[in-house]
Amino acid sequence: MIAFRRHTLALLSLIAVANALPGCFHPADTPRMLRFAFIPKALHIPVFEYARIGAERAAKRLGGIEIIWRGAESTDEIRQKEILESFIAQHVDGIAISCLNGDLLTDAIDRAVDAGIPVVTWDSDAPRSKRLAFYGVNDVEAGRALGDGLAKLISGHGRVAMITSLGADNLQKRLDGAKDALKKYADIRIVEVFDVRDDAVRVAEVIASAAQRYPDLDGWLSVGGWPVFVRNALDPIDPSRTKVVAFDTIPPAPDLLRAGKVQLLVGQKYFGWGEEPVRLLKRIIEGDRPHEPYQYSGMDVVTRDNLDAYLEQWKRWQQGTL
Amino acid sequence: MIAHRRRVLLPRLVSGWSAAVILLLEFGFFTLVLAPRNGGPHTFANLANVALILKYSSIFGIGAIGAAMVIGAGGIDLAPGAVIALASVITGHLFVIENAPLWAACVAGITVGLAAGAVSAALVVLANLPPFIATLGVMGIARGAGFLITEGRFYDLSSRLPSGTAPLGLSLAGWPGVIMMLLAAYFQLVMTRTAVGRHVLATGGNEVAARYAGVHVGRVKTFVYVTAGGLAALSGVVLAVVQGQGKADMATGYELDIIAAAVVGGASLSGGRASVVGAVIGSLIFGVLRNALAQIPGGTFADRLILGFAVLIIVVMDRLATRERA
Repeated sequence: MIAFRRHTLALLSLIAVANALPGCFHPADTPRMLRFAFIPKALHIPVFEYARIGAERAAKRLGGIEIIWRGAESTDEIRQKEILESFIAQHVDGIAISCLNGDLLTDAIDRAVDAGIPVVTWDSDAPRSKRLAFYGVNDVEAGRALGDGLAKLISGHGRVAMITSLGADNLQKRLDGAKDALKKYADIRIVEVFDVRDDAVRVAEVIASAAQRYPDLDGWLSVGGWPVFVRNALDPIDPSRTKVVAFDTIPPAPDLLRAGKVQLLVGQKYFGWGEEPVRLLKRIIEGDRPHEPYQYSGMDVVTRDNLDAYLEQWKRWQQGTL
Repeated sequence: MIAHRRRVLLPRLVSGWSAAVILLLEFGFFTLVLAPRNGGPHTFANLANVALILKYSSIFGIGAIGAAMVIGAGGIDLAPGAVIALASVITGHLFVIENAPLWAACVAGITVGLAAGAVSAALVVLANLPPFIATLGVMGIARGAGFLITEGRFYDLSSRLPSGTAPLGLSLAGWPGVIMMLLAAYFQLVMTRTAVGRHVLATGGNEVAARYAGVHVGRVKTFVYVTAGGLAALSGVVLAVVQGQGKADMATGYELDIIAAAVVGGASLSGGRASVVGAVIGSLIFGVLRNALAQIPGGTFADRLILGFAVLIIVVMDRLATRERA
């Protein structure tokens, strides 16, 4: 009997706690906030942390906006779609997503827009969907910048290998752009395109084994930041023999550039990935839909020559003063 | 006496109907926690969201039915994630590239899964390999075959499926849940009301005793691995048709979630005990958790941690309950 009473008491306490919890999440007397859902490709990719800072900073500046940051733990396309669909079921006020697989997400994005939830893509697009805007680099142009940069570094001739992660629309465009740029140089031959599946650990393994197989390689071109997200992935490469160009400029990439392990980096507007979609969604909700869906952010081509200036700029981005 | 009752009450709560009770408590808890305070619609307890939970849980749930049977027979199957992907690739390739009718592409996808299960069974039964090693090898082969066929591309089934396809009046998105529940009902009957089911659990409980009792242990193991392969492939075919893509890297790592669903649903990794319905409910428990945690501020980085704790707590309590009953 005593045990029964205790268990009843425990159960009632649990219900009481559960009843009290909603108050924690939805303060009763505050005005209604706009809820913007942000979905990165995955939580484990470091560049997206800057997007989160940017989104939260923009929400604070504009006021009345709550950022809900949700992503899959790893690059799991199905899980990303599940998260997107759960936000549609929640009737959030806007969705900003970096698509792992734009085609897979197209029907869900269309359903969201049809249901009156504005969707913008950032970093990686779903071009066939009804999304209202895309913010990010012009990936074809960025790929060309990498290709031209590498061609210049190896004086227009040699054997090069490329690194990508198959499946994402933006990476494919960069790859196409890079290949397009390298086509102009008759003496440059692409020996292999490696798929590292968005994995900074796998990239080290790929580079190490490729260095064995192609010891006389002249250049590496990575359309993502995987080789410069870790400090030792480029160790098997002899910088005096082989030149490296890669996407992304987040730490530790600048250190690798200064150390001469990589010769050219193409940076994106990482904080802008968060800031601009917040502004775009707010504008759309206020009835000001962008006429041009492609809102290109521009890019930063960084070499040792302009590294210090870029790092100074980075500091200001971090502080939110730029 | 009172102390003893107190000690066994909680474990008993999670035994037998435990998975269903946990699912109901979990759903009720999140319904209260996520209740809107401003009079708006409930963002968790609504039909569309329940349909969403069913749709995504079914990817794991259909595979977990097979996993429960394999585990019940004393084995383990690490291949379902890779088989899901391979079946989606085969279905996509035949439907999109070879212009095969959809039904034929689906049958081919399921057949590949049955074949993968048969290979696992042959390695376990004939070559006497430990199931962990045998199915690890099959997992690699299946995943590799998918990449070899696609070369990193994907097959866009949605481009060939007429928009608004709704077999028997039910939208494509609604079918995975229905298929999962029908399969759960059928295999639950097989496991609880037929000699096959008893033989599966007898084999897992004590293989030597089962052999002496006249059970064809080899046939039983072949049955469970082939069935598990076929069910994983069915999950892949459903995934390909409903999501509209066949892709080699889909469902990476899902084998662990599938095994976890079966274990949470009452399957004992030492064999001899498994529940098909429990496995499906296990996948729903995870589905509800994934869905609800995504709605709680700051929950995104805690998802995995909470899922890990949930598995441990449920399995430990189940173990305690089993000990009490013994």
